[in-house]
Amino acid sequence: MDLNLIKKLIRVVENSEITEFSFSQADMKIKISKNSNNGAQNLVHSVPQVVQQPAAASTEVKPSDSKQIETAAPSNLHEIKSPIVGTFYRAPAPDADPYVQVGDSISPGSVLCIVEAMKLMNEIESDVSGKIVKILVENATPVEYNQPLFLVEKN
Amino acid sequence: MENKEFQIEEFDIKLDTEEIGRQFVYIQQVDSSNSYLLNNKELKINGTVVLAEEQTKGRGRMNRDWQSQSGQNLTFSILLRKVDGKKVNIINLGASLVVAQAIENLFQLNTSLKWPNDVLINNKKAAGILIESTSKANELDRVVVGIGINVNQINFPGKYKIEPTSVRKEFKHKVSREKLLSEVLNLYEELLYKIDESHEEVLEDWKERCSMIGEKIKVEGSKETKFGIFDDIDSEGFLIFKTGDKTERIHFGDVSLS
Repeated sequence: MDLNLIKKLIRVVENSEITEFSFSQADMKIKISKNSNNGAQNLVHSVPQVVQQPAAASTEVKPSDSKQIETAAPSNLHEIKSPIVGTFYRAPAPDADPYVQVGDSISPGSVLCIVEAMKLMNEIESDVSGKIVKILVENATPVEYNQPLFLVEKN
Repeated sequence: MENKEFQIEEFDIKLDTEEIGRQFVYIQQVDSSNSYLLNNKELKINGTVVLAEEQTKGRGRMNRDWQSQSGQNLTFSILLRKVDGKKVNIINLGASLVVAQAIENLFQLNTSLKWPNDVLINNKKAAGILIESTSKANELDRVVVGIGINVNQINFPGKYKIEPTSVRKEFKHKVSREKLLSEVLNLYEELLYKIDESHEEVLEDWKERCSMIGEKIKVEGSKETKFGIFDDIDSEGFLIFKTGDKTERIHFGDVSLS
């Protein structure tokens, strides 16, 4: 049986006004029904939450990490991190100027760098406004998932 | 050479997806279809596809040119929203996998893959992929999968690292761009659902088509060139490179047989 087909069907039903759907072919029979009242919808939503909770608990920050965050917050410093594993570039091309230098003012949406992983060029934009106080990684070197790249003093 | 406009209706009939390609933008000329999707933030729908007949600034890795004759080929970009940073490499490898599968399904040509995401037909380059994304606060907000497939172009003037070819050159007949695009998008949506469950199957399928595993290769980085063995692909899609008894993970660079 094709699991993808069933998933697709469920999606179609989910996103439609249909409350019940049945389908049969040879010895396969599929029946999908949904309850349109709110109570049932809440039930459906609670399922992924149950799955997510243990995962979140296992990645909970260690005490030492949370201390760092605590000390960073009062001094108004913000870390910009890498969302992917890859290579850090400060400029869009080898012969181009860096996106930002220490001391530059930035605002939300300003491009700070590129992290490349296997021909994926990811531009990292700032999510805050402030001033670059430190660039934590050297150009063209590898970075890990969640590694801090820039230290920004927030306005 | 006759330039036939892309027949959107013909493409739409063959499209069997729920999200990928359902929002479809057809443009005669654009700087690059990737930039178009990255910069037009009002385009928000996951799976939006932009097909451009002509790109004035089509590009590959590190701003290298990607040249394509107008009306002959497929140069398009797919917008994916809110992508998990840990899955993005598999989405990347998977794009080359589905292009190879589509070419094989429709034209029974012998395809292979070159890490990370070049598609070869009879060892000549037929398609390339460049993914660009923007992230903010540690989230990949917009991921744009740019795919260029040489479809009906016959002449490739200029010098290339790998000899270029097109589907038409290898198949010996002009082929339908509409059919090929819909097949690629159909397979890609299926693959994205698969990735939601597990990476394994996609990685295995990819490896099966990669003729470089176990071979001597050259990795050209921005600072140095290294020689060694293409040992394997790890669970995140990175290349495991062996030099003597040392192994390292390669994130990027130009990889070729040495």
